Amino acid sequence: MPQYALVIDLNTCVGCHACATNCKEWNTQAAFGPLSDFDPFGRAPEGVWYNRIFTYETGEFPETQVFHLPKSCLHCQDAPCVPVCPTGASYKREQDGIVLVNYDDCIGCKLCAWSCPYGCREFDEADKVMKKCTLCIDRIYDETLPPEHRKPACVLTCPARARFFGDIEDPNSEVYKLIEKRQGFVLFPDMGTNPANHYLPRQETTINLEEYEKHILKPDNPLFLEVLRRHKPGFASEETKQEQPEESYAEELP
Amino acid sequence: MHPPISLIFFFLTAGTSIGLFIFVYFIEFLKLFGKGQGLPKEVVLLSGVISLILIGAGAIGASFHLGHKLRAWKAVKRFHTSWLSREAVFSGAYGLTLLIYLVIKYFDISPFFEHFFGILTWILGVLSGFSTAMIYASNKFVLEWNTGITVIYYLLMYLMLGSSAFTIISYYYNLPYTGTFLFLTFLFVLLGFGFRLAFNIRQFYIKRPTLNEALNLPHNRPVRVIDKGSTTDNFCTTEFYYEKGKQMLPTFIPLAYLFTFIIPLFLLVYIWITGTVNQYLLWVIYLSILIGSAIERWCFFVEGNHVQNLFYGLYPEEGYKLRKGFMERKETRTSLYG
Ligand code: SF4
Ligand code: SF4
Ligand code: SF4
Repeated sequence: MPQYALVIDLNTCVGCHACATNCKEWNTQAAFGPLSDFDPFGRAPEGVWYNRIFTYETGEFPETQVFHLPKSCLHCQDAPCVPVCPTGASYKREQDGIVLVNYDDCIGCKLCAWSCPYGCREFDEADKVMKKCTLCIDRIYDETLPPEHRKPACVLTCPARARFFGDIEDPNSEVYKLIEKRQGFVLFPDMGTNPANHYLPRQETTINLEEYEKHILKPDNPLFLEVLRRHKPGFASEETKQEQPEESYAEELP
Repeated sequence: MHPPISLIFFFLTAGTSIGLFIFVYFIEFLKLFGKGQGLPKEVVLLSGVISLILIGAGAIGASFHLGHKLRAWKAVKRFHTSWLSREAVFSGAYGLTLLIYLVIKYFDISPFFEHFFGILTWILGVLSGFSTAMIYASNKFVLEWNTGITVIYYLLMYLMLGSSAFTIISYYYNLPYTGTFLFLTFLFVLLGFGFRLAFNIRQFYIKRPTLNEALNLPHNRPVRVIDKGSTTDNFCTTEFYYEKGKQMLPTFIPLAYLFTFIIPLFLLVYIWITGTVNQYLLWVIYLSILIGSAIERWCFFVEGNHVQNLFYGLYPEEGYKLRKGFMERKETRTSLYG
């Protein structure tokens, strides 16, 4: 059974909030909107977001690392938020595994939000229904969009290209390969939710300097000046300018 | 968790309604086998009407918790998976069969149907209470609630409210059950006290997940929340973490214990020792349990910590410890930069 999901690369995510902002922009005016805001220009603005970015620091000072964690609904394969819904408004689609809320049936009891260990559902106080990431279902199947645009808004906008979208059950998909190659992981694996969204871990970047040192030209190399003269355009003229007095002195010698 | 006042109201009204009916019909049921004297028709009708009004008021009150009240009927659709749906079905059916029972009783239509609907209402009442408790007890993500103690305490609360309310009725009508129900109230309050204590003590020993588990990081790596994505609160931080309530908890838990258990137990013992019983004492006992239960339910919500708070750095790290006589959380990180 296909299971569409997002795969987010924590190694490249720079925490710029572009995905969250574009998610809000797309969804507030699209089929599952609006995403109501309260007091947007006031002292304590509050509103519904499908996607929020968290920033964490690991390690002990000075050996610390900061990483960003974009968190939207993980479209869990064993979604605990679905069976608790008394009206069936919360449901998981058979054909692509996307978890959605039918706003016409939702009575706003909030029990589904209580049953999501990730805090990925947000109640809209204006519409009085529960809202959550739709995996941009109104984009990915929209045939009026050019094929390259039939992707979630957050994926398209990410400037670091840290977000990928696809069917994690299809061995030929980009996301399947990424999860396999980069050992993608999920949040809260012990909760029995089996999330579909995966994260790609941070990678230690190690550079073998010894290998590079062979090719590095150091100033104590007798050829150093020679190489600079030949390969750095303008270096020769700068040098002549600087060395002017020395040259005139040399002329006097013989 | 943020305590919804409408649900606390429902607990109290449904608790008194179902609790009262459990005892009223039980006495009637025993008469079926020639045991006991049953109840005068007037008492059955009066207490039945009280139960009916209370469950109706409770249902209306609880609907204020919903975003869309007029769609509340749709809550019957997922009976096979959702405890909330079961609660809606059972409590609705309880109200309906109670009404039928009262009509049959009033017009003396048929003893068979009277008892048929009596038994049905009794079972539906118990099932309704059980389903309500299961909504909380089945939530794996609020570990304080996720225990059988929640269910047992909840049903005991119904029995406490019901038996103390029935004692008043029994006293007014000079029925021979006042002494028995004083004892039953004492028993249920005492049991409730034990289970509420167990509920609190258990919180010391819950094995709590950590932020490392939430983020799927190795356990030995320190992790801190640096930023939660927005400068102000959002639905998740207000619904799942009630900061003001957490600060008031050390005052409210002792108050809940005082009103729900200590005052009623004291008064019951006083009645036994002095042999004086009057309507004021019985009313004080019932109202004390009622007010205490309201505070207790409020605490029940505030004490619940949802695991999603881990992502915000708002989840308690270790158990509780007793300090200065209060329950207080040890090394709780409520600051984002803790
Ligand atoms: S992340 Fe939460 S809302 Fe989304 S499917 Fe999983 S449990 Fe449900
Ligand atoms: S808030 Fe809506 S979607 Fe969530 S459980 Fe209640 S009815 Fe279902
Ligand atoms: S998939 Fe769509 S709805 Fe979900 S976080 Fe991305 S932009 Fe928002």
